Amino acid sequence: MLEITAVRKNYKIGNDIVKAVNNAGFKVEKGDSIMIFGHSGSGKTTLLSIIGGLTRPDSGTVKYGDTDLWSLSDNELSEFRNRRINFIFQFSSLIPTLTVLENILLPTAFNKSGDRNRNFDAKDLLTMVGLKDKFNAYPSQLSGGQQRRAAIARSFINNPEIILADEPTGDLDEETEAEMLALCKSMNVDKGITFIIVTHNTDIAKQCNKHFVMNRGILTPKAMG
Amino acid sequence: MSFNLSALAYKNIRRKFFRSMAIAAAVMVVAATLFSVTTVMDSVETSLARGTKRLGADVMVVPAASESKAMASLLAGEPSTYYMDRGIEEKIRKIEGVKKVAGQLYLKTATYKCCSTGDMFIVGFEPDNDFTITPWLSESLKKPIAPREAILGRSIPAYTTGSSFQVFGKVITIIGLLEATGMQFIDNALYMPIDSFKGMVETSDNGTFNIFDRINNEISAILVQTDPEYAPRRVAIFIESRIEGVKAIVSEDVTASVRKQLFTLLKSILSITVILWIMSVLLISVVFSMIVNERQRELGLLRALGAKKRDIFKLIIAEAAVLSMAGGLIGVSLGGLFLYLFRGQVKAALNVPYMWPQPLNLVLLVLICLCASLLTGTLAALYPALKSMRMEPYAAIRGGE
Ligand SMILES: Nc1ncnc2c1ncn2[C@@H]1O[C@H](COP(=O)(O)OP(=O)(O)O)[C@@H](O)[C@H]1O
Ligand SMILES: [Mg+2]
Repeated sequence: MLEITAVRKNYKIGNDIVKAVNNAGFKVEKGDSIMIFGHSGSGKTTLLSIIGGLTRPDSGTVKYGDTDLWSLSDNELSEFRNRRINFIFQFSSLIPTLTVLENILLPTAFNKSGDRNRNFDAKDLLTMVGLKDKFNAYPSQLSGGQQRRAAIARSFINNPEIILADEPTGDLDEETEAEMLALCKSMNVDKGITFIIVTHNTDIAKQCNKHFVMNRGILTPKAMG
Repeated sequence: MSFNLSALAYKNIRRKFFRSMAIAAAVMVVAATLFSVTTVMDSVETSLARGTKRLGADVMVVPAASESKAMASLLAGEPSTYYMDRGIEEKIRKIEGVKKVAGQLYLKTATYKCCSTGDMFIVGFEPDNDFTITPWLSESLKKPIAPREAILGRSIPAYTTGSSFQVFGKVITIIGLLEATGMQFIDNALYMPIDSFKGMVETSDNGTFNIFDRINNEISAILVQTDPEYAPRRVAIFIESRIEGVKAIVSEDVTASVRKQLFTLLKSILSITVILWIMSVLLISVVFSMIVNERQRELGLLRALGAKKRDIFKLIIAEAAVLSMAGGLIGVSLGGLFLYLFRGQVKAALNVPYMWPQPLNLVLLVLICLCASLLTGTLAALYPALKSMRMEPYAAIRGGE
C-alpha cells in the first residue's frame, strides 16, 4: 500500500551539508507494523515527516497505492493527511487552550466532507486510553504520561490508514506503556491500521513485523533475533 | 461530535487576555478619534450648509460698521442688533441683478427690558417681501400673518401654536413654528411683522418709550436674492459701490472661507489620526508576529492534522478581526460619548452651531469607522498570517522547538 523509493533530504547548515535522509526506500503492506531505530540525529524524524507529507524530499517518491504523495497540491496534501494519515509526535502535541476532548476532535475541524462517520468516537477513544474523567481537563492539568495518552487517542480519531509514531512511549511508565502498546496492537490487528514507529523500546520492537535501523541518514533492514 | 476553527480562534483570543485587550485598545483609540473627527467635520459641513441655506439669501446687506457682528450671527448663531436707514431697502431694489429684497429688524428684549418674556431675540420682517422665514415653517400658515401674530423658532419649548404672551406690553399670538436648525439666532427668535411694533412700548429706568417711534425708520439687515443671471458677488459689488456705509455679505463666500478655515484645522487633526492609525497597524502587526511565533509549533501541528493553508490564514485573521471589531465598537461608542459630553466645548472651539449628523449620515459614519477598525486589525495581521500559512508544516513544528 505504501512504497518509499530513493528518498533523499539534505539540510545545509552553514557550509556543511547534512544528509538527513540518504536514499531511503522500503515497501509497506497494509497492516504492517514497522519499527525504525537509530541514534538521535540519524534522520528518523525527517524520514517520518517525508512519509507523512510534512516536508518535501529533495528527491525520491512516496507512493500510497497509486497516489504519489509529493505530486499532490498543498490542499490535496492537507486533505490526504487529514483523512488517511495520523501522527504521534515526539513532543507534547496538545494545544494548551483546548480541552482534552477538543484536542482529540481537532482533526475533525478540518474535515468538511461528509465522511466523518468513519471517525472513531472521541469519548470512546479517551475512555480506551484511561482518560474517561478528563474530557474537559486542559493539557496543563494532565501529567506528561496522560498528555501522551491523549495524543495517542487523537492519532486514531480519523481512522487513518497509517499512523506515524515518533517515540510514542517516551514519557510513559512501564505499566501504561504496556497498555498503550496493547491498544496500538489491537488497532493494528483488528482495524488494520498500519504503524511506522520510531522507538528504542525492545517491547515495541517485539510486536513489530519489520525492523529498520537508521544511521546517518542511511536506512537498512535489520533482522531481529 | 466535532470541533471547528472558530472555536479555536475564540479560545486563542481568551488565551492571553491582556494582550488581546491591548490589541483591541489600540484599535479603539483609532476608532474613537476617527469617529469624533469625522462626525465633527460632518457637523461643520451640515451646519454651514444649513446656516447659509437657511439664511435663504444670496447677499445680506448690513451696516458696514456691523460686518463682524453680522458674521457672528451667521456663523456662530449669536443674535446681535444693529441698525441702518430703512430707505436703503428701496435703493437696493433698483440695483441691477437684484431680484427680491426683504428687510429685517432685529431687537433684543433684554436691551429693551421686556418684562414678560425674558431674554428673547425678536426679528421683525416684511410679510409681503419675505422669502427667508415663511418658507421654513413646519406647517404653512392658513392665512397671511397679521400684526400681533408671531412665528416662533424651535428652541423655546414653553410655547406652541396658539399660545400667546406679552411682548413690549402687547399680547402676541403664536401662529406658526419654524423647523429647528441648530442656529441659535434662528431657533431662539420670535418673528413678527415689522408693523406689529406700532404702539408697542418699552419700559426702562428712564421711563416708557414707544419703540416704534425709535425704530420707525430703521432696519437691521436687508436680504437680497439675486437674479440667476448675475453672480451674487457681482451684485454685492454693485450694492457697495452705489450705497454708502453698507457691507454686502455674499453667503457663498462666508461658507467657503469658514469651511476653508475649519477644514485646515480638522485636516491636521485628521492627519494625526492617520498617523495614529498607521502606528496602530504597525504595533498590532508586531504583536501578531509575536503571537504566531509563539504558536508556530501549534500551527504546524494543525497543518499536520489536516489544516489547509487557508485554514491557518483564516484562524489568524479571524482572531485579528474579532479583536479589532470589538475595539472599533467600543471606540465608536467612546467617541460618541466624548462628543456628547463635550458638545458645548466642541461648539465653542469651532464657533459653529454644532449639530449631530443626520441619522443616515451618522449610520454611514459609524459603518465607515467600523470598517476602518476591521481593516486596522486584519491589515496588521495580514503579513504574519501569510507568513505562517506559507510555512512548511515540519519546519513550523521544528521551529517551535
Ligand atoms: N529543519 C532542519 N534544519 C536543519 N537541519 C535539520 C533540520 N531537521 C533536521 N535536521 C538535521 O538532520 C539530521 C536528522 O535529524 P532528525 O531527523 O531530527 O533525526 P532523529 O529524529 O533521528 O533524531 C540532524 O542532524 C538534524 O540536525
Ligand atoms: Mg527525532
